[in-house]
Amino acid sequence: MPELPELDPVIHGKLRLAVLSLLIGIEEADFTWLRQKTGSTDGNLGAQMLKLEEAGYVAMEKRFAGRKPQTLYRMTPVGREALATYVAALKQLLGAAL
Amino acid sequence: MTNSEIDNGSTRDDLVQRVALMETMIAEGRSTTTRFGWVFVMWGLVYFAAVGWVLFLPLAIWAWPVCVSAAIATSIIVGARRKRMHGGSENVRSRSIEAVWRMMGSAICLYVVGAILSHHAGDPAYVAAILFFIGLAHGTSALILRWGVQGVVAAIWWTGGIATFFFTSERESYGIFLGASFFGMILFGLYAMMLERRRAAGPLQSQVQRHA
Repeated sequence: MPELPELDPVIHGKLRLAVLSLLIGIEEADFTWLRQKTGSTDGNLGAQMLKLEEAGYVAMEKRFAGRKPQTLYRMTPVGREALATYVAALKQLLGAAL
Repeated sequence: MTNSEIDNGSTRDDLVQRVALMETMIAEGRSTTTRFGWVFVMWGLVYFAAVGWVLFLPLAIWAWPVCVSAAIATSIIVGARRKRMHGGSENVRSRSIEAVWRMMGSAICLYVVGAILSHHAGDPAYVAAILFFIGLAHGTSALILRWGVQGVVAAIWWTGGIATFFFTSERESYGIFLGASFFGMILFGLYAMMLERRRAAGPLQSQVQRHA
């Protein structure tokens, strides 16, 4: 029987998974938009984004929109690959559980 | 079917919830969330205000420059405020739609200035071209969004454009323009606002918490 794959713990967190799923369909999004879509708090989202950034799954850029600072996130190629691997592992695990 | 642990303490239900969460968020990320209905309503009202000024108030030459400048300023200020409050995202589709409307706006501004300076602003073809410009933007947007309602709106503007060649007096031209503005801007904008409101009140709120 083949060994079951492990799920990437960085992606497996619900909020981090939600953020990556949001980002995969778009080019970039700002912090406020991500917070609103996920319904999370500033502190929680900030901490989770930092984890994703440290893992190299998202890239952060600070910009100014007029005089207001804006924090933009985009998914990196590493992040896309990691999410694809996560989905494949999820499929395999769910297949095994059926 | 069991709900036993299958990975790092995750049960089958946990994993199924993850899949549902991903599906919801991917769809949400791809869908447009920009609230634009109010922009159409505002521009429709601006057209009515400008035409009303031209027909019934003095200094008619200032009607369009003043009304259009005020509308552009309002769009920029309110748009920036909304973006600050709700944030934003960008994808190819949203950028395409924005490009269509920005370029249409720029083209109309240049066209109107050229027509006024060359004293062609009263020609029936002048009004017809504006109707076709706006219809073109609606039609392109409808194709990008695959939104039939906006396709109908484009047809309204184009029908108005054709009609201006047959009803050539100033009042008839303005009547056609205002009719198209009412159906193709104000009513369409109100419909879009209704959809936006329904969507905002929908089941998508706090998906992450719901799946938690």
